[in-house]
Amino acid sequence: MSDTAAARRPEAGDHVSPASGPWPITLDNVTVRYPNGVVALKDVSLSIGAGEMVAVVGLSGSGKSTMIRTINGLVQPTQGTVTVGPHAMTSLKGAALRRARGDIGMIFQSFNLADRTSVYRNAMVGRFSHTPTWRTLLGISTAEDRDIVMRALASVGMLEKVWGRAGALSGGQKQRVAIARALAQEPAVMLADEPVASLDPPTAHSVMADLADINADRGLTVLVNLHLMDLARQYTTRMIGLRAGEVVYDGPAASATDADFEQIYGRPVQQRDRLGEK
Amino acid sequence: MTATATTASATRLAIPAKPRRLAVRAAGWAATVVILLAFWDIDLEWDKIAGLPADLAHYGALMFSDPNWSMLGEAALQTWRSVSMAWIGAILGVVLSTLLGIPAAQGVGPAWVRLPLRVIFAVIRAMPEVLIAILILTVTGLTPFTGALALAIGGIGTHAKWTYETIEAVPPGTAEAVRASGGSLVEVIRWGLWPVAAPELMSLALYRFEINVRTSAILGLIGVGGIGAMLTDYTQHREWDTVGVLIIVVIVVTMVIDAISGAIRRRIMEGAKVRGVERQH
Amino acid sequence: MTAADAAAPARTDLAIPPRPRTWPKAVVVGAALVAFTVATTIPAIGGVEIDLASIARNWTNGLDRIGQMLTPDLSILPRTWQPLLETLEMALVGAAISAVLAVPLSLWAARPTNPNGVTRRAVRFVLNVVRAVPDLVYATVLVAMVGVGTLPGIITLILFDVGIVVKLVSEAIDSADAQYMEAGRAAGGNQTQINRVTALPQSWPAIASQVLYSLELNVRISAILGLVGAGGIGRLIDEMRGFYRYDALGTIVLEILIVVIAIEIASNLLRKRLR
Repeated sequence: MSDTAAARRPEAGDHVSPASGPWPITLDNVTVRYPNGVVALKDVSLSIGAGEMVAVVGLSGSGKSTMIRTINGLVQPTQGTVTVGPHAMTSLKGAALRRARGDIGMIFQSFNLADRTSVYRNAMVGRFSHTPTWRTLLGISTAEDRDIVMRALASVGMLEKVWGRAGALSGGQKQRVAIARALAQEPAVMLADEPVASLDPPTAHSVMADLADINADRGLTVLVNLHLMDLARQYTTRMIGLRAGEVVYDGPAASATDADFEQIYGRPVQQRDRLGEK
Repeated sequence: MTATATTASATRLAIPAKPRRLAVRAAGWAATVVILLAFWDIDLEWDKIAGLPADLAHYGALMFSDPNWSMLGEAALQTWRSVSMAWIGAILGVVLSTLLGIPAAQGVGPAWVRLPLRVIFAVIRAMPEVLIAILILTVTGLTPFTGALALAIGGIGTHAKWTYETIEAVPPGTAEAVRASGGSLVEVIRWGLWPVAAPELMSLALYRFEINVRTSAILGLIGVGGIGAMLTDYTQHREWDTVGVLIIVVIVVTMVIDAISGAIRRRIMEGAKVRGVERQH
Repeated sequence: MTAADAAAPARTDLAIPPRPRTWPKAVVVGAALVAFTVATTIPAIGGVEIDLASIARNWTNGLDRIGQMLTPDLSILPRTWQPLLETLEMALVGAAISAVLAVPLSLWAARPTNPNGVTRRAVRFVLNVVRAVPDLVYATVLVAMVGVGTLPGIITLILFDVGIVVKLVSEAIDSADAQYMEAGRAAGGNQTQINRVTALPQSWPAIASQVLYSLELNVRISAILGLVGAGGIGRLIDEMRGFYRYDALGTIVLEILIVVIAIEIASNLLRKRLR
C-alpha cells in the first residue's frame, strides 16, 4: 500500500473516503490500569503498517479486548499514546474523538445490534459520525447516506433483509449486518473483537473470509482478536500474541509453530484451541 | 461523492421495497384520531393554561417563600395519624390478602374457589379506595379507623393478586417433594410454598405499606383525619404558608419511608438469595 | 468449638455443626414490629383507635348501604354520560401528554442512556419528589390555585403519570442488556444519536406498556378527581353522596367498574401484542 496515503492528513470534518487509503496504527508504551486495580496492558508498543491483516491472539483476560478498545478510544490508556493514521487517539476528546472513531470500524463478538429495530437502521448507526445530530433526531437521512448503507449491506449479502428486524436474523447474518454497519462508516481501519467466537464453525470461516476480503479488496488495515490458532494461521498475515497484558509473540502468522502458541497460551495446546476445517 | 455517482449506483442495487405494515399504521392513525378528539372535545380552558406559569410562580412563592413553621408540631401529629392508618391498613390488608390469595393460586385451590376469588379481586382493584371509604364510614364514622379499614379492603384487590402470582411463580419442585412424601394440602403450603415465597411476600407487604402512606393522605381529603384532612382544611382557607409546610412534610415523610422500606426490602430479598445459595452447598 | 468436638464423640458419632443463633435477631425484629404496631393504635399520640364496638353496633348500616348500592337506580344514567366521557377524556389526554414528556425524561434518568451522573441524579431526584405527593393532594391544591374544572385534573394526572412511567421505564432500561450502545460509540456517535436510533426502539415495548398502565390508573384516579372539584364523574359521586342517594351511587360505581375493567382487559391484550 502506498505510504503517501498515510501521510495525507485530512482536515477536521473532511470526508474520508476509502480512496484515501488505509492507515497505520501505532501504540507507544501503552499501559491500561482499570479503576479496580487490574492492569490489562503493560507497556505495550506496537507498529502496524497500513493495509496489514493482523491477528491478536491470546486467552480471555490476556488484554486483547482492552488493546483493541484503546485503538478507537473506547478505553483510554493510563499511560502511553495511540496513533491511528492522522489521529492521536489518546489526546482527542468529545467531537474530535467521535470523528476519529468514525474513521475506525469495529465489530464485536456479540454483534451489538439493536434487536428490536430494522437492519437498515442498525447499519445507519455507521453513519453517525458523518451526520449532524438534528438529522439523526428527526430520522431524516440524506440520499447519499442511504446509498452508502445500501451498498454496504449489499457487499455482505444482506440487502435482501434490509427492512427486517435485526433480532430475527441468525448469528452469522447478524455479524454480517454488523460488518455492514462498520463498512458504512467508510473506515480506513477495521477492528474486530472476537468476531467469530459466538458462531458455528462454517459461519465462522465465512465471516473470517469476509474480513480477509475487506483487507484484500478495500485495502483496509484489519486487526482481529482471536483465541483460535488455526483461524489466525489461515486468514491473517501477521500475528501478535498477548499474555497477561504483554506482547509475547510478534511475527508471521502462517509460520507460527505450536510451540509459539504454547508460549502465548502459557500451557500446552489443546483441542479447543482449534476451530477445525469447514 | 457527486450526485451522478450516487444515483448511478443506487439504480444498480436491487433494494427491496419497504414493507407497508398497513394494520399497524391504521391502528396508529386510529389512536391518534381518538386522542385528538379527546383534546378537541375536552374543555382545556386555554386562557387558564396561558396564565398557568404565572399562577404557579405566584402560589409557589406564597407557599414556600416563608412557610409557617409554627404548624410543624400539628403537622407531625397528623402525619403520625396517617402513617398509623397506613400501617394498620397494611397489616390487616396483607393478612386478608394472604388468606384469600393462597386459595386463589393455581395448583392450590380448586377452580370453583379460584375464579370467584379472582373476580372479587378484580372488582376491588377497579374500585377507588375513596369509594370504599365512603361505604365504610357509614359503619365506623369519620375516623382514622375507617381509613385503615378502607386501606385494608382496598388493598386486597392488588395485594391478593400479587400473592397468588408470587405463589404461582414458585418453582414446583419443592411442593412436589412435599406431596411425594405424603404431605397434605396444608403441609404442602407450609413446607413447600411458604419457605420459597415468604421473602417475596414480606417484601410486597412492605411495599403495600409504602403505597398506603400515599393513599392514606388521599383518604384524609374525605375527612377521616390525618395529614390529608389538615391539608384540605388549610387549602380551603387558603392559608398558603401552612399548605407549603404540609406539602414539604408529606414529601419528606414519604421519601424517608420509601427509603427505609426500600432498604429493608432489598435486605429481605438479598438475604433470601444468600440463604438459598448456602442451602445448595 | 473444641469443647463441643471433645464432647460429641462420647454421645454420638455425628459431628453436628453448631446451630446458628438466629433467634436473638428474630426477637429484636419481632419486638420492634409489635412496639411500632402498638404505637400506631394509641389515639393519644395520634394513632388509630381500633373501634370494634362501632362495627358491632353499626354493621347493619353498612349492609343497608351496600344493599342500596346493589339495587342501582338506573334513572340517573343519562346524567352520567357527559361526566363519564369527561373522565375518560381526561385520562386519555393526561396519558398522552405524559407519554410525550416521559420519553426524553426516561432516557435522561437511565444509566445506559445518560452516563452523566449529575443530570441523571437530578432528574431522578426531582421525579422522586414529584412521586412523593399523592394524586388527590395535587388536585386539591391545584383546584385552589386555578379554579374548579378539568385543567387541575389533567395536570394532576400528568404529574402522577410522568413520575410513575419514568421510574418504571428507566428501571427497565437500566436492567436491559445495552451492548448495542458500544457499537454506536465505536462508530463515533454521540449519546443523543445512539439513544435516538438504538435505545429508543429497544425501549419501545417498556414505554408503551407503562403508558398503557398509566392510562389504566388514570381512569381510576380521574373517576374520583371530581370529589375535590377537578372534573369528571367524581363530581356526580360527591353530589349523590351528599343526598345519601346510595342507589344512584351504585349505578355510578357500577359504571366505573365496567369502564376500568374494560380498559384493563383492552390494555392487557395490547400489551401482549407488544412482546
